Amino acid sequence: MAPAEDPNSTGSTGGGATRDQASVKVPAKDPKKKDEKKDEDLSEEDLALKQQLELYVERAQDSDPGLQKAALESMRQEIRTATSSMTSVPKPLKFLRPHYGTLQAHYEKMADSDLKKLLADILSVLALTMSPEGERASLKYRLLGSEGDIGSWGHEYVRNLAGEISQEYAKRQTEEALIDDLMELVGQIVAFHMKHNAEPEAVDLLMEVEDLDLLVEHVDNANYKRTCLYLTSSAKYLPGPDDMLVLDIAYTIYMKFEEFPRALQIALYLDNMQYVKQVFTSCNDLRKKQQFCFILARHGITFELDDEMSPEDEERESLQEIINNTKLSEGYLTLARDIEVMEPKSPEDIYKAHLLDGRASGGGSVDSARQNLAGTFVNAFVNAGFGQDKLMTVPSEVSSGGSSTSWLFKNKDHGKASAAASLGMILLWDVDSGLAQLDKYFHSTDTHVVAGALLGVGIVNCGIKNDCDPALALLADYIDKEDSSIRIGAIMGLGLAYAGSQNEQIRSKLTPILGDAKSSLDVIAFTAISLGLVYVGSCNEEVAQAIIFVLMDRSESELGEALARLLPLGLGLLYLGKQESVEATAEVSKTFNEKIRKHCDMTLLSCAYAGTGNVLKVQHFLGQCAQHLEKGETYQGPAVLGIAMVAMAEELGLEMAIRSLEHLLQYGEQNIRRAVPLALGLLCISNPKVNVMDTLSRLSHDADTEVAMAAIVSLGLIGAGTNNARIAGMLRNLSSYYYKDASLLFCVRIGQGLVHLGKGLLTLSPYHSERFLLSPTALAGLVTLLHACLDMKAIVLGKYHYVLYFLVLAMQPRMLMTVDENLKPLSVPVRVGQAVDVVGQAGRPKTITGFQTHSTPVLLSAGDRAELATEKYVPLSPILEGFVILKENPEYREDN
Amino acid sequence: MPTVSVKWQKELFSNVEIDTSQSPYVFKCQLYDLTGVPPERQKIMVKGGLLKDDADWSKLGVKEGQKLMMMGTADEIVKAPEKGPVFAEDMPEEEQVIHMGHSAGLFNLGNTCYMNSTVQCLHSVPELKSALIKYPPPVRSNEVDQTSHLLTVATRDLFNDLDKNVKPVAPMRFLTELRKKYPQFAQLQNGVYMQQDAEECWTQLIYTLSQSLKSPSSSEAPDAMKRLFGIDLVSRVHCPESGEESAETESVYSLKCHISQEVNHLHEGLKHGLKSELEKASPSLGRSALYLKDSRINDLPRYLTIQFVRFFWKRESNQKAKILRKVDYPLELDVYDFCSEDLRKRLEVPRRILRDEEGKKLGLKTSDKNSGSTDDDVKMAEAEASSNRSGDSSKCEPVEDVPEKEKALTGIYDLVAVLTHKGRSADSGHYVAWVKQENGKWIQFDDDNPIPQREDDITRLSGGGDWHMAYICMYKARVIPM
Repeated sequence: MAPAEDPNSTGSTGGGATRDQASVKVPAKDPKKKDEKKDEDLSEEDLALKQQLELYVERAQDSDPGLQKAALESMRQEIRTATSSMTSVPKPLKFLRPHYGTLQAHYEKMADSDLKKLLADILSVLALTMSPEGERASLKYRLLGSEGDIGSWGHEYVRNLAGEISQEYAKRQTEEALIDDLMELVGQIVAFHMKHNAEPEAVDLLMEVEDLDLLVEHVDNANYKRTCLYLTSSAKYLPGPDDMLVLDIAYTIYMKFEEFPRALQIALYLDNMQYVKQVFTSCNDLRKKQQFCFILARHGITFELDDEMSPEDEERESLQEIINNTKLSEGYLTLARDIEVMEPKSPEDIYKAHLLDGRASGGGSVDSARQNLAGTFVNAFVNAGFGQDKLMTVPSEVSSGGSSTSWLFKNKDHGKASAAASLGMILLWDVDSGLAQLDKYFHSTDTHVVAGALLGVGIVNCGIKNDCDPALALLADYIDKEDSSIRIGAIMGLGLAYAGSQNEQIRSKLTPILGDAKSSLDVIAFTAISLGLVYVGSCNEEVAQAIIFVLMDRSESELGEALARLLPLGLGLLYLGKQESVEATAEVSKTFNEKIRKHCDMTLLSCAYAGTGNVLKVQHFLGQCAQHLEKGETYQGPAVLGIAMVAMAEELGLEMAIRSLEHLLQYGEQNIRRAVPLALGLLCISNPKVNVMDTLSRLSHDADTEVAMAAIVSLGLIGAGTNNARIAGMLRNLSSYYYKDASLLFCVRIGQGLVHLGKGLLTLSPYHSERFLLSPTALAGLVTLLHACLDMKAIVLGKYHYVLYFLVLAMQPRMLMTVDENLKPLSVPVRVGQAVDVVGQAGRPKTITGFQTHSTPVLLSAGDRAELATEKYVPLSPILEGFVILKENPEYREDN
Repeated sequence: MPTVSVKWQKELFSNVEIDTSQSPYVFKCQLYDLTGVPPERQKIMVKGGLLKDDADWSKLGVKEGQKLMMMGTADEIVKAPEKGPVFAEDMPEEEQVIHMGHSAGLFNLGNTCYMNSTVQCLHSVPELKSALIKYPPPVRSNEVDQTSHLLTVATRDLFNDLDKNVKPVAPMRFLTELRKKYPQFAQLQNGVYMQQDAEECWTQLIYTLSQSLKSPSSSEAPDAMKRLFGIDLVSRVHCPESGEESAETESVYSLKCHISQEVNHLHEGLKHGLKSELEKASPSLGRSALYLKDSRINDLPRYLTIQFVRFFWKRESNQKAKILRKVDYPLELDVYDFCSEDLRKRLEVPRRILRDEEGKKLGLKTSDKNSGSTDDDVKMAEAEASSNRSGDSSKCEPVEDVPEKEKALTGIYDLVAVLTHKGRSADSGHYVAWVKQENGKWIQFDDDNPIPQREDDITRLSGGGDWHMAYICMYKARVIPM
C-alpha cells in the first residue's frame, strides 16, 4: 500500500487542515451520524482509503490466518505511515474508529497467537482516540501486545501511554499490586522521550512512578543540561521530601557529566557538605577548584578544605584564602575604580537638598544629634567598603590640628558607638587597614567609642575569615566588661564576624551570658542574636537550650520589652530554612509565658520555612493575620514577615505574596499594617518593582507614623544599592515633607543611604547564582533588622540604632568580575540583559533579552544575566556572577 | 627559637625570631623596632586570643613559620574635644527657636484663626515687642482702663511665649482678655464662638495698644503706636457746588484699598481710597451739599498697614460678602505718589541717598554678575535684608529714640506680613498669617502649623480665586541713616 498521499493529512497549512480539524472535532461526540454525512464530502482518495480499511477490518475477522495476518499488517502499516500533524487525527485512525468495537469483539474471540498480539497493538493505538476516559484501554492492549518498538506509533501514542501509566501506577500502588510490567514500559518510554528532546515528559513520568534513578541511565551529553534544569526548577514546586530527591538526582547527573559548578550549587542548596566535599575530591583541576571556592565564598559559608579535597599544602592554602573571602575587598575596589566611583561621597551629596525648592530646613548652623546620626549611617552605607569617606577617614591632621572637632564627636552618647562602628563599614572587608584604623578608638576613654570600635571590628570582618581570628582575639576580652554598651558592641561584633561559622569558642564564651541572671535584657537579646547568627541554620541543640532557658526564666515584664523580640528570633535563626527540624523546639515554645508564646511560635515557624516557598505555611501565616487580637499581642508582626520570608523563594509565590499583603493592608489591624511595608521590603529587596514602589510610596504618607516609617525604610530596602532615581526622588520629596518630624526624617535619611548603598555597587539580596541559592547569613542579617524594625520607636529610633549594621551580613557587590587563570582581573566583552526562563524549552533558546554589551567588570541588576560575548575564553562557571575565572578557549581562532 | 612572620596592616615582616626564653614583652619590643608601635599599644593575635605580656611561649605553641597578626598604631588616641558640640535636641526651647528660624504657631481655640493671624502679623514687629516689654510704665496713667491694661499685659505675655517656644502656644489668656474688652468677639452661634473679622480684631487691638502704650508724660516723643503705625493724612475738602474749600487733618492706623471695577493693583486701590465723597452741611449754601475729600499722606509710619476692602455688607444674605477680585500688590511699595507736597519735600533727600546707594550696589552687582547665579529679585531681597538688618541692630539699642531720629524715612516700603482670608465671607472661612522672618524667609502661620514658603508664593495671594487672598498687608519702611 502506498503511504497516504493526501496532502491534507500531512500538510499543516492550508484550508485542508482546517477542514480536517473541524470535521474531526465534531464526530468525537457523535461519530456515527457524522460518519454518514461525511461520506459525501470525502475526496476520492479518502474514500478509497476508507474502503480499503473497511476491507482490512473485514478480512481481519476472516477465518484464514494468512489473510488475517496480511490484513492486520497492512492495517498497521497504514496507521504507522500516517502519523501526521499534532492537531489532527490521522486519517486511518479516523476511518477505523467505527470498527473499534468490532475489532475489540473479534480480539476477545481470538485464540492466543502472534496474530492476537498484532491485533492488540492495533487496538492499543485505536484506543488512543476511542477508549473512554479512565479505562486505560490503550495501556491494557499495549501490555497484551507484541511489545515492539514503542516509538514506531508516534509521539502522541507514547504520551498518551505515559499518562495512562501514571494513573495505573497510582491505582496499583493503592492495591499494592506488582508493577514490573509497567516499569518495563516506563523504561521504554523514558528512553524514547530522552532521545527525542522531551526531557520534561520523561522526568514527569518518572516522578509519577517514583523512580527518578532510572533517569541517570538515559541522560547523555546532549540532554543532561536540559534535564537537570527541568529537575532543579521543578524542585521548587514539589512538596518535601520529593524536592530533595529530585535535586539529588540532578546532583548525580551533574557529577556524572562533570558539570561541577552546577553540582556544587545543588550541593549548597541541599546544604549537604558531604556533596560539597565530593565535588572537590572529584575534580582535579586547580582552576576549577578556585572557581568552586569563589562560589562558596559568595554563599557565605564557612568551609575548611582538607587534604583529601586538595592534597597540596600550598594549593590548599590559596584555595582556602578564596573561601575566606580575602579577595573580596580587592575585587570590589577594582570594580569601583573601573566604574570610576572611588571619589567619596558626603551625606549632603546624597540628600541633594538643592533640588528641593524652598523647603530646605532653615537653620543648619547647629548640629542636631539625630540628624548627625543619620548622616553617620548614610555616610557608612554610601561609602561602604571604599576605604575612604569625607567624615570618618579624613586625614588626621585636619581632625586633630584644626579647631573643628572630628565627626565622631559630633554624635551624641550612643550615637558615638554607631559613628565609630561606621569606620568599620567604610573599611568593610579590608581587615588589615580596617583594624589599623579602628585601633585608635580602642584606647578612648569614652565607653561608647570603645563599644563602636568593637562593633566596627566585627563589621570589618563580616564574611571574611582569617587564620589569626583577629575578631575573636580582640573582642573576647570585652564581652564580660561592666559597661553594657561595650558588651553589646563586642557581642554583636562577634555575631557579625563569625556569622555561619558555628565556632565552638564563641559558643562557649557567649552561652554563659545567657545563663547569667544579672545580665541586662539588652545584653541577653544581642547575645541571643549573635549566637543565632553564628549557628545560623545549624539546629544546634545546646544553643537552643540556652536561649529557651532565658525565655523561660525571664520575668514577664522583661519579656514585654521591645528588645525581647530578639530572643525568639535568635532561636529561630538556629533553624533557618531547616523546616521540620524546628518541630521539637516549637513544641517546647508552647510552654513559654503566654506573653511571648505565640510570638515565639510565629518567629520559629517563619525562620524554619524561610526560603522554601511552602504554600501551606504561607496560608498558615495568612490565617494568623486574619485574627483580631487582644491588645498587646505582637505575634502578627512576625507572621507578616513570615509570609515574605517563606514566599520570597520563587517569583510566582512572590507575586502572590505581594498581592496577599495588599489585602492585609486593606483589612488588617494596625500592627499588621505596620509590618506589611517591611514584608514588602524583604520580598523585593534590592529589586525595585514598580508596583511595590508605588504601594510603599503611598504608605510613606500614611496617617500612622509607624506605618510611614516602615514604608520609608522599606523604600530604601527595595532600592538598596540600585541608585534608583525614582526612589531617590521620592525620598527627597519625603525629606522635605517630613522636615519637621525628626524621627521620620531620620528614616528618610536611612532610606536615602540605603538606595545609594556602596554608591550603587552593592546589593542586599540574599539570593545569588541566578536566584537559585539563598545565603543563610545574608537572610539572617536582613530578618534581624526587620524584626528590630517592627518596633521602630524603641529600637532603631531609640538607642539601639546600630542594629542597622546587621545589614552588613547581606551586603555583597552586585558585580561580574572576570579574572584570568592567575586571578588577575581580565576585561572581556559580555552581554548583560534580562534573564529569560528557558526551562522546558527545546533546542538552545536565548537566555537573555534586551541585552547590552559591556566589558567586565560590570554591574548586574536584579533579574539580569550575563553571557560572554566572545569565544576567546571559556568561563569555568556556567553562572556569570561574582568572580568568574576565564580559561582561554583552545579552539578559538581569530577571524582574520 | 622559632621564626615567625608578622603581618601588620599591609606589611609583612617575615623571619622575626622569637626568643622563647624571654617574655612576650621582649618580642613586642622587637616589633616596636620594626613598626614603631609602642609595646603597650600592640595587639598580637595568636590562635584564640591576644598575646599577653606575661604569657608563656611554650604554652602558646608557636610553630616555625607561623603567621602572626599584629594590630596597633602609633597614631594619636582620639580624645573627646573639650567642648563638645551642642546639639539642638539638648538646647532649651528658646534657643531652638533661633535655629528653627521662626517662632511658634498658635493653637486654634475654636474659630480663633482671625485672632491668631492678627497676633502673628503684629508679632513680627520687633519695635512693638520692645514697646510692650516696657509696659506697664513705672507711672501708670489713669486714662487706661482695667480691661485695656489686662489685654496689653496679655499681649505682652503672648508675644513672649511665642518667642520662647518651639511648640505651638495656646493663647488662652489673651483670648479671654480680648473677649472681655471687646464682647463682640465672644458672640455665640449655636453654642460655639463665631468666626470674626480679622480686620476688626486688628483695628481694636491696635487701638487698645495705642491707648495703653501712650507715654504717660506727653512731653516725650509721640506715643509708640502712633510712631509705628499711625498715618497722618491731610485732606482737602472741596465742595464743587459752592466752591468752598477747607483743610482737615486726621490720623489713621491703616490705609484702605478700595476695590472696584477699575482697580487691578494696590496703587489704584489706594488712590481710590484716598478720595471720598461726603455730604455735610455747607455753611455758605445753608444746606447739606456734596463735598469731595481728597486726602494726602502727611506723615508716614514705620509700618504701613493696608487693608483691602474686600468685604461689604450684603443685605440680602445678611452677611459680609467678599469681593474676590484680584488686586496685585508689590513686595516693594512706593507711596510717594500719595504724599502731600510737604512730605514729599522731606522725603526728597533720603530718597536720593537711597537711590544712590542702591545704584552703587547694583553697579557692584553687575560687575560680578558673571560669577553670581542669583537673579535680580534675590539681590533685591539681599539688599533689603542688609538694610533691614542694619536698621534692626540699631533699634535694638537700649536708647531707642536717638537712633530713630537719625533714620529717615524714604517712602519706600517692603512687604513684611500678609494676613489672608480664604472663604466667601468675613465671618466664615479661614484666616492665615504670612510673615517674613528676620532671616528673610517667609513663614505661613496656619494656626499651630508654621510652614516655610517661598517669596514668589506671597505675591500669589492677590486674589481672583478661592485660594487665600490678601486682606491686610503690612509694609515696613525702608530707612536710611542720615
